[in-house]
Amino acid sequence: MMQQKLILKINYLIFLLFFFSAIQAAEGGPCKDYGECDKFKYSLNDIESLQRGASTYINYCYGCHSLKYSRWGRVAKDLQIPEDIFFENLVFDNSIKPGDLMVGAMPSESADWFGVMPPDLTLVSRYKGDDWIYSYLRAYYEDSSKQYGVNNLVYPGTAMPNVLLTLQGNQKLVCKDIPIIASNGGEQRDNNGDTVYKEKCGFLEVEEGTGELSKKEFDNLIYDLTNFLVYVGEPIKATRERIGWYVVFYFLIFTALSLLLYREFHKDYNS
Amino acid sequence: MSEIAGKLFTWVNTRLPIANTFERHLSKHPVPSKVNFWYLFGALAAVTLIIQIVTGIWLIMPYSNTEEQAFSSIEYIMRDVDYGWVIRYMHTTGASLFFAVVYLHMFRGLLYGSYQKPKELVWIFGCTIYLAMMAEGFLGYVLPYGQMSYWGAQVIISLFGAIPYIGESLELWVRGDYYISGITVSRFFALHVVALPLVLIALVFLHLVALHEVGAGNPEGVDIEEYLDDDGVPLDSVPFFPYKVLNALVAIGVFMTVFSIIMFFFPEGGGYFIEMANFQEANPLVTPDHIAPVWYYAPFYTMLRAIPDPLGGLIVMAAAVAIFFVVPWLDKSKVASIRYKGIYSKIAITLFGVSFLTLGYLGTVGVTEIRKTMSVVCTIIYFSYFLLMPIYTKYENTLEVPKRL
Repeated sequence: MMQQKLILKINYLIFLLFFFSAIQAAEGGPCKDYGECDKFKYSLNDIESLQRGASTYINYCYGCHSLKYSRWGRVAKDLQIPEDIFFENLVFDNSIKPGDLMVGAMPSESADWFGVMPPDLTLVSRYKGDDWIYSYLRAYYEDSSKQYGVNNLVYPGTAMPNVLLTLQGNQKLVCKDIPIIASNGGEQRDNNGDTVYKEKCGFLEVEEGTGELSKKEFDNLIYDLTNFLVYVGEPIKATRERIGWYVVFYFLIFTALSLLLYREFHKDYNS
Repeated sequence: MSEIAGKLFTWVNTRLPIANTFERHLSKHPVPSKVNFWYLFGALAAVTLIIQIVTGIWLIMPYSNTEEQAFSSIEYIMRDVDYGWVIRYMHTTGASLFFAVVYLHMFRGLLYGSYQKPKELVWIFGCTIYLAMMAEGFLGYVLPYGQMSYWGAQVIISLFGAIPYIGESLELWVRGDYYISGITVSRFFALHVVALPLVLIALVFLHLVALHEVGAGNPEGVDIEEYLDDDGVPLDSVPFFPYKVLNALVAIGVFMTVFSIIMFFFPEGGGYFIEMANFQEANPLVTPDHIAPVWYYAPFYTMLRAIPDPLGGLIVMAAAVAIFFVVPWLDKSKVASIRYKGIYSKIAITLFGVSFLTLGYLGTVGVTEIRKTMSVVCTIIYFSYFLLMPIYTKYENTLEVPKRL
């Protein structure tokens, strides 16, 4: 009887599972022509990565993109940079104090330069997601039809020029011959046993020798930059996840003790 | 010392019924000795309500209810206020989990017939609480003034415009402006932090008073009042304090563990508890790619979308909530619990549950042809569960309910 009921319940759950997977249809991803966004795994305890990211941000991005909910002093403190060193190397305006918000360096009429006002990026990692940023900054390619000579697979028609072009080099869309995958999962072969290729386009490739950084170095740079944007999107994130373990542990102990107490009292009326 | 304390207690107790109330509602209040986990969500809802009130009070202090500062004051709370992030995440997580436990609590009611005579008023107060919660949740959602706050409010307030004759002026009256603005935010703030919490607390009080008058139910649907001991206490009951309090304490432990896992590790709830678009300040000039309500309104939003005509959609959506109020009179069954009801009731409640979850899922994703058809089908199933209830509960074979728990 008991077993029969259990089987019935399991069948019921399987039915529900199938039902919901059946109505789940594929939707266009946030990374558009790029396909699936590259996965990004933040590491907020890697202070050096955050420091490098902050430096890249302030040197290459802050000129246009403010971080207006974040404060200079807080960034210095969280990134463990002594305030004097931080202000000497990363803050280019002597009137700025540690408690000031990072309101940006752009005059408000600058909207005319790009057609739109460059957005504030304090929360970009929270409304676009870190995967998106990490993919976007690496998905620029040469496109002479555009105003700045570049376009982006993740954000087609983006208004932002490729600020990091000199570092990355000239990235182009290329076509490649790739092996066809047969229905059995292996590479498809012709009668002579040679792999069958098919031309596919839309691959990003950097022209060799045009950038200051290698592909790996550039990816690392974008990693650090994205990592910094994750930090600045929620400065408390690392602390939150650290404290979280203690709180969860506390409630597990709480549950265990209350369960023991409950069982002790339960004996009163259920013996 | 203890003598003074005793005297003080007597002094107060002769003027305020402390001992009486404690005995009547806690230490001597009889509750069924055997219930299952479904009966714990009421206590959890109470815990969540308290969390929402306490964190809410602390959030009011640094929050600014103006158009210019609403959004940035939230970031101020998240960054500059000491432990502001704890308070805020507790409030956002609490809001979602409040709805989660209330939905489970309501489903328990449907499963075990917790609305049947003489519990009709308990049920109706409960339905009213749910209605007030929906309003409270919506108002609170607008306050951070993010993109989804703005556009969600735009959609919901424009629903009033679908009402014939008075619609347009009503819409304007609710919004207080020709478009959503600081005026809307500050009036929603007043309603969210004062008006509706007062209503909610009053309703919860009535819900509990009515419940204590008629007594709590049990999953067997047995009337424990039938068999009393010499003192008139039901034989199948235990005092609420300490026995049921300890039972609830275990549930609270489990609940708070889940609560803190979400709050500390997944506060956005994968975009369901705090939507990604809401990290962007409200912008009347840019519509988000896809406007979706928070998950707890999603089933009703799907119904609204399923009907092509705005007024029709509004009526269906309102009816979907209103129909809960009349459930006590729709159920014609001789038994309360699903355990003793017939096969029709069991099929009906399964289909209802599946259609409700499906409607919820469909409300969070974009519309396609097949999904549109599914929303119509599920809306029909949803209403059939209620409207056919008088028939299938009356003409099915029920099992014999035991005399004792």
